[in-house]
Amino acid sequence: MNGARGWMRSLAAMAVLAAAVLLAACGGGGGGIEGGGDTGDVSTAAAEGKATGSLTISNWPFYIDNNTVPDFEKDTGLSVKYIEDVNDNTEFFGKMQPLLDKGESGGRSIIVVTDWMAKKMHDLGYVQNFDQEAVKPAMDNLVPSLQSPSFDPNRDFSLPWQSGMTGLVVNKAQAPDVKSINDLFDPKYKGQVEMLTEMRDTVPLVMKADGIDPADATKQDWLDAIDKIKQAADDGQIRRFTGNNYTNDLANGDAVAVIGWSGDAVQLQADDPDIQFVMPTEGCMLWSDNMLIPVGAPNPTAAYEWMNYVYDPKNQAQITEYNSYFSPVDGVKEVLEQQNSDVADSPLVFPTEEYTKDCSTQVDPPGSPEDVSEVEQAFQAVVTG
Amino acid sequence: MNDESKPLSRRLVPYWLMGPGLIWLVLFFVIPLYFMLRLSLESGTLETGFEFTWDWANYSDGWDRYSEQFFRSFLYAGTATVIALIIAYPLAYAIAFRGGRWKNALLFAVVAPFFTTYLIRTIAWTTILSDDGVVVDVLKTFGILGENGKVLATPSAVIAGITYNFLPFMVLPIYASLERLDPRLIEAAKDLYSSSRAAFVKVTLPLSAPGIVAGTLLTFIPAAGDYINATFLGSTNTSMVGNAIQSLYLSLRDYPTAAAMSFILMAVILIIVLIYIRFAGSEALMGDEEEAT
Repeated sequence: MNGARGWMRSLAAMAVLAAAVLLAACGGGGGGIEGGGDTGDVSTAAAEGKATGSLTISNWPFYIDNNTVPDFEKDTGLSVKYIEDVNDNTEFFGKMQPLLDKGESGGRSIIVVTDWMAKKMHDLGYVQNFDQEAVKPAMDNLVPSLQSPSFDPNRDFSLPWQSGMTGLVVNKAQAPDVKSINDLFDPKYKGQVEMLTEMRDTVPLVMKADGIDPADATKQDWLDAIDKIKQAADDGQIRRFTGNNYTNDLANGDAVAVIGWSGDAVQLQADDPDIQFVMPTEGCMLWSDNMLIPVGAPNPTAAYEWMNYVYDPKNQAQITEYNSYFSPVDGVKEVLEQQNSDVADSPLVFPTEEYTKDCSTQVDPPGSPEDVSEVEQAFQAVVTG
Repeated sequence: MNDESKPLSRRLVPYWLMGPGLIWLVLFFVIPLYFMLRLSLESGTLETGFEFTWDWANYSDGWDRYSEQFFRSFLYAGTATVIALIIAYPLAYAIAFRGGRWKNALLFAVVAPFFTTYLIRTIAWTTILSDDGVVVDVLKTFGILGENGKVLATPSAVIAGITYNFLPFMVLPIYASLERLDPRLIEAAKDLYSSSRAAFVKVTLPLSAPGIVAGTLLTFIPAAGDYINATFLGSTNTSMVGNAIQSLYLSLRDYPTAAAMSFILMAVILIIVLIYIRFAGSEALMGDEEEAT
């Protein structure tokens, strides 16, 4: 028996040893998650000659038509792996952070995230600057209004994929009089209202409804708005908080008025004419999702090739026609007009200045990272109940 | 059984058989568990980096913030387990004793839902239970639900979803223990003037106890940590501890508290299971092993 137990022990020891070797080989020897990126020394992803090989892109679902990727592959001879694994900025960040912190991108050459997340990733040292020479054709076609956002005034590391509006998406047949964000708190619609899990969409809209400009909002304003939302959630006024999946609840009739995205509304309206985007009387939130080149990204040359390709108005028109968001590319409206596409006349895709005059751009809560995290915690506490 | 009388190689056989499982467990359970334990005692934020500081406050903090979710999880999981047992026992009994030549087909029907992924099955339920759906219509017709009543986004929907998703885990072990039951024992009981009812209570039920214990554990343990059903079928007022951990890890990036909460969940489940086994009798679960030795 002794002998056997000795064997047993050495077997266990061997297992632990094997595990240790394996872990060390994987580079995870330290264990745990360290966090805390370096700021300051941002490297530049240099382009080298002609693009060859393969390219992996992470983007949001329903953001591209079925032809653009194959057309691009035919055109350039590159092979593209296009994955739709971004559903929520914070969740995607949570998934990528341990990799990015080690200077790896999981094989991704391009990732697409919203403005504030692009800034956060840049501040943490998780993205690379563009080789401006290589990306010049794309930059030349960028619409003037998006050329110098506050988080990246020279577009050093970010290039918009699409922009859009966050406002009300309403079933006109069942909730014809929903016009303001405040109408979502009307007991008439109890249990049929939904809001987004994206804090920077939901909370500023509620603040706007109370007459507070998100650009000057204090931390207390954020917390007060969150409190108002919490009250409504506890009362059962708000059915649930969702990402993209509010579209199902609207289509099923489980929700009649939600905070949602303009492009989704256009796509939903195609199936059910009653479901429409409503510009809230107090205005909307404007945002862009941006292409970034993360640290450790393989084949940046191919990434620039992709950016230049989708910034060609002809290629871009195909994407815009599919997803119905604002295009960041100059000349798309003209291309669509030539093709007699209905999208060219849509005020949601090519809004007038008058239409969006009360809209605000997305901002972070004010203050130190601790303050931001306090607000985030308060909001998450509402979302998780 | 004298070990020394056998050649060494034969005595080692059990250990060689255990080897792969053991290595697997050490690699993918024990080692990650160690790192998670370490993580649960770290402090800091993602921006400043995490540091190991024996920060036990993560545990009390997690419990304070999410005790409601903990209680809800155990309430939902417990209720779902009881309902699943009530549905599964007669079902397993019918298949085992009255299934006849349909036995395999019926068993297949029990397992068939597994051919569709868990996520899709749960999302399908959102359509079944939707406000304009058939279920709500029927309930309204019979006056069980009020005019503005709904099923989706209520605790009932979450519990129903959990019950449905874990039902096969309850049916199969009970079926296995009933199937092995020697019918001659029941005949003997009846020969000794036992009523059908008494024969069931004194013979069938005790002999199927290992199946019941295994089934309830296989249902309760994963159900307590489940967050898919609460995500899709529930609302903010029905979130479970799994949702809290998910939000801590993925949205708030508070890795230490998320890890601490996972440990609390594990500890509470362990305590509940130990108490349960103590009362249900561990011999019910381990019965066969004792017979064999």
